[in-house]
Amino acid sequence: MLPFSPTTWVSLLAWGTLVGLDLVSVPQLLLSRPLVAGTVAGWLVGDVESGLRVGMILELFALDILAVGGARYPDYGPGTVAAVALAAGPTLGPAGLGPAILVGLAVAGLGGWSLSWLRHANSRSVQQRTAALAAGDMRAIRGLQYLGLWRDAARSLGLTALGLGVGVLAARWPLGGDRWLEVVAVTGSGAAAAATGALRNAGRGARLRWLAAGAGLGTLWTVLR
Amino acid sequence: MRGAWRALLRLFAVQASWNYERMQGIGMGYAAEPLLADLKRSVPARYPQAVVRSAEYFNCHPYLAGLALGALARAEQEGVPGPQILRLRTALCSPLGALGDQVFWAGLVPALVGAALVAATVGSGPAAVAAFLVVFNGCRLATAWWALRTGLAFGLDVGRAMQLSWLSRAAARLGPAAGFAVGLAIPVVVGHFLQGAPGWAVVATVGVCGLGALLMRRFGATVTAVRYGLVMVVLALLWR
Repeated sequence: MLPFSPTTWVSLLAWGTLVGLDLVSVPQLLLSRPLVAGTVAGWLVGDVESGLRVGMILELFALDILAVGGARYPDYGPGTVAAVALAAGPTLGPAGLGPAILVGLAVAGLGGWSLSWLRHANSRSVQQRTAALAAGDMRAIRGLQYLGLWRDAARSLGLTALGLGVGVLAARWPLGGDRWLEVVAVTGSGAAAAATGALRNAGRGARLRWLAAGAGLGTLWTVLR
Repeated sequence: MRGAWRALLRLFAVQASWNYERMQGIGMGYAAEPLLADLKRSVPARYPQAVVRSAEYFNCHPYLAGLALGALARAEQEGVPGPQILRLRTALCSPLGALGDQVFWAGLVPALVGAALVAATVGSGPAAVAAFLVVFNGCRLATAWWALRTGLAFGLDVGRAMQLSWLSRAAARLGPAAGFAVGLAIPVVVGHFLQGAPGWAVVATVGVCGLGALLMRRFGATVTAVRYGLVMVVLALLWR
């Protein structure tokens, strides 16, 4: 069991719900970015450093996303909160990066599916109120808006609770492997995701040259540090 | 026009009821309610049809939705024929979506995230996160207010306002900045986590990254970032 007080569990659930809502519904202030969600979750569990570490890794994965139109993409916010709760637990300690990222990615992937469910549920509600909408009934519009908000809040809360539950279970088993292998897996795959997203956005113009310049400078900096 | 502040607040939830039928349409209708209040008093016969039009299909970048909302509300107030308003509504979707994606999702967001990641590796983590939130949301709030005011000021002529605005120039400048920041952040973050690592770990990380980038580029629909990451972490945990 992760050793958090009831207040901390409630705070994590509330924060996970808020960041889940922030992704699409309201207020879209980028609280759902893993770097933000992870740092605040780390602060809530009294371990900002773990929150930052998990947030930075999952942020690399999130850089692959281009959230356009009705595309389905992972919901990293609630997954990051669950991952930080697991990484900050004393059961796994600093070697918990692998299991934590595993939980974070799994919940993020599930979050993508849950967004699709939410949109279909909202579509059905719109179909059921077609007559009221065609009559210009503002109450129907307000009702649909509030229903969508409540649904997304329930989705985000459920996703966070599931992630934290999986985290509690994961903390009971000795999942930790070789520390450096875990670091290789999470940083290597995260960097692959970020590079894929960056190359996709860069195209073939000036942006690609700036991307290459940044990567070159970053590599040089890393080698010289 | 009265109700602009309330409409602005409601625009923060423009995607709350996002659906495959009307996409942002219901959210736009909800945000339009304060702007249509005057119409309800002045021309009550037109109000129900204006409400119907306000919730029709619509989709664009959520941060620029105010441009369309303001323009459409002004057109309703000026008594522009309904079919013309619906044509404007349809015509605004693509340019507002494309511009917003370039400025925010492919420009400002990756540029600031990349900068915050680099700053976090040099020991200013929470401060970097706070600065990221302040700078981004300063830009986001200013854009939302500018968009709504511009839409309300230009009405049917909102297309010209978009052409003359800073949006295209910002997209052109933010793209290279985003490319540079993300390019810088990737090796710096990886290097941060590999500090003190044995040589084989550095080589293996480069291999995992290269293989992943290749697979995601080649089989992007199947090999997503989440799936590749899950497989790699599971393999690492099973390898003892």
